[in-house]
Amino acid sequence: MADIRTIGVGNPGVKSSSFNSTSFQKKTRSKLLSIPGTRPSVQNGQLLVSTGVTSLDFLLGGGLAVGAVLLIEEDRYDSYSRMILKYFLAEGVVCQHELFLASAQDSPDDILKELPSPIMDDVAIPKPMEQPRLSSDPQDSLEAMKIAWRYQNLPKVQSTLTSSSRFGHYYDVSKTMEAEIQQAAKCHRFYLPDHPNQTAPTHSPMLESYSALLKSLQEVIQKEGFEVSKSRNILRIGLHSLGSSLWGDDLCCCDNPKHAHALTTFLYGLRALLRSSLAVAVVTVPSHLIQNRALMGRIAKLCDTAIALESFKGSEMETNPLYKDYHGLLHVRQVPHLNCLASQFPDHRDLAFKLKRKQFSIERLHLPPDLSETVSRVSRVELPGAASTASVCGLSTSANKHLDF
Amino acid sequence: MLLELLQGGDSGGFLLIQDTANYSGRHLLKSFINAALRRDEEVHVFCFETSEEELKEGFQEVQRLHIHNAYEDPLGWTKKAVFTVQQFSLNDLTRVIKLTPHQKTPIVVIDSLSWVLRHVCTTAVCSTLHQLKKGGFVRAIIGLLHADMHQKGTVGSVRHLSTSLITVTPSIMGDNCQAKITKRTKSGKVLQDEHTFSIKEDLTVMLLKSSNTAPQQMVQEEHEIDPTANLTFNLRLSDKEREAKEKLSLPFMFSKEKKKAILHSGANLGRILYEPDANDDFDQEDPDDDLDV
Repeated sequence: MADIRTIGVGNPGVKSSSFNSTSFQKKTRSKLLSIPGTRPSVQNGQLLVSTGVTSLDFLLGGGLAVGAVLLIEEDRYDSYSRMILKYFLAEGVVCQHELFLASAQDSPDDILKELPSPIMDDVAIPKPMEQPRLSSDPQDSLEAMKIAWRYQNLPKVQSTLTSSSRFGHYYDVSKTMEAEIQQAAKCHRFYLPDHPNQTAPTHSPMLESYSALLKSLQEVIQKEGFEVSKSRNILRIGLHSLGSSLWGDDLCCCDNPKHAHALTTFLYGLRALLRSSLAVAVVTVPSHLIQNRALMGRIAKLCDTAIALESFKGSEMETNPLYKDYHGLLHVRQVPHLNCLASQFPDHRDLAFKLKRKQFSIERLHLPPDLSETVSRVSRVELPGAASTASVCGLSTSANKHLDF
Repeated sequence: MLLELLQGGDSGGFLLIQDTANYSGRHLLKSFINAALRRDEEVHVFCFETSEEELKEGFQEVQRLHIHNAYEDPLGWTKKAVFTVQQFSLNDLTRVIKLTPHQKTPIVVIDSLSWVLRHVCTTAVCSTLHQLKKGGFVRAIIGLLHADMHQKGTVGSVRHLSTSLITVTPSIMGDNCQAKITKRTKSGKVLQDEHTFSIKEDLTVMLLKSSNTAPQQMVQEEHEIDPTANLTFNLRLSDKEREAKEKLSLPFMFSKEKKKAILHSGANLGRILYEPDANDDFDQEDPDDDLDV
């Protein structure tokens, strides 16, 4: 059927094979754009791009929708949020998208120099999720478990989040991207100290820095032609640490900031710009500095997808044995529902991330079995203590008799 | 890590000493200045909170120490102020620093940032510090901040800018002081450390005890011991015993058809599967037949 053929254009074998979905393919009459590095979503036909981190793609329902904004709430020392921004930009370079990077703290050239290098040969291939063995040979499946045979057909616990179809690329964090590959990609830069003190329109609640940024974005989109009707490529926008004091915003400094509406107005304008063009934006905000939680809620509502990173470094959770395999927790605050009624929230809410050399993995946090010796026995030290305090209770006589079976 | 910071290895950094009313960080600040002077560096101090004489106390070599006195008239009420708070901007600072000629790029010490933050808005201070750090005119910036004088957001914003942060608190015993150090390396790694130290008369730092940064490993490694060895009774199985064990039919082990039916029983609900047990007397006759009712 001609229609089903067009869906598989970007990635062969896009037929969904995750456990919950069916093999139903929606018939679409419209011609789908075939831009390298994108694929249509299997849930609602939206055009998706990869964020550069395959586990994050899986979490967000296949990838980041084109025309949407991803908000990352930074961790305390801005190490992992910066890493995700770099992954996003590196993915853009590899897929030959155009980049736009804006920063007030570090020069965009410095950030671009630190992009991780892509792993060209597919060494780290994720294992596909295990299919339930409903239709397999009954002999084999029933011999597998002798006593607990009722549990045979349940899927095994899959802690790493992967999907079976490869979409993104893998990057090696210990090496930086070679200069040739990086220079092949077109990158527009916006470094705030280069745009000093422009006069903002007086009626706008937006700050001058944000107005300048928005204007620059608008120029790039118009000049390079990223509007939906005439575009053949995607623009990836990375905005680093918006809302911090270096942008001139006192959102992070005061409990009642004067410029309470500056960032929210900017995000509103950004989203309007993105909806009418083929662009994706990733915005990082130092939310740990923002004292007013209502403002943070407003900022999250104005972006489409919002995740928060919480790193264990420096907090007391670093020494907790529960968290010793991971570098931090990841909270999914908001998932968009674009052109559909319900959003695809991830099944598991307690997620932890770990930055390995070749992969940024996001896993479900589950309690390991407690193998210590005193796990389920009443501690014998406590009983004599209880006996001394409880004078005439029945406990005192039987305190010394430990019932052992 | 405190001693490494005192040696002042990396350039282009912003070291922030954060103190509270319980313990003043000025002694530590002076020991940093002392260490820099010992290394023959040019030090420019902008002092807002102490007088020049009080600051110069305790230093031996003062020819490389340039003090910009903002203590006498910080807000410029008399027209003869040496340095005012309003001059805390990139252009004025670099102009003032460039007035004195020197061979090496200087180190700028600000005592204290809290004073500046009370009179100039936080965003301006942050952007000045950031530009000073990036500008290349100064080698390093050391600032003192009183954390209890400002809102949490302000303190957080200045801390966010710093490459190294030392938080001083009084230690439990005596006059010593405890310092928690967080350092951000250029590669993005974050290192942390904790020290107890005291400062001697000649402004050198003496470390008393530094606690381990690595958490105590509570999990002891358990060696794999075979639990079935060294017992007075036998816990192992011989081959014949293993066969007999596998032949044993357990109470809820069903035949293959019944298992399959139970596992895939989505389609045909309501089917009753009965397998007679060994003890069951499966008699097809209705026991109510011989009732005479």
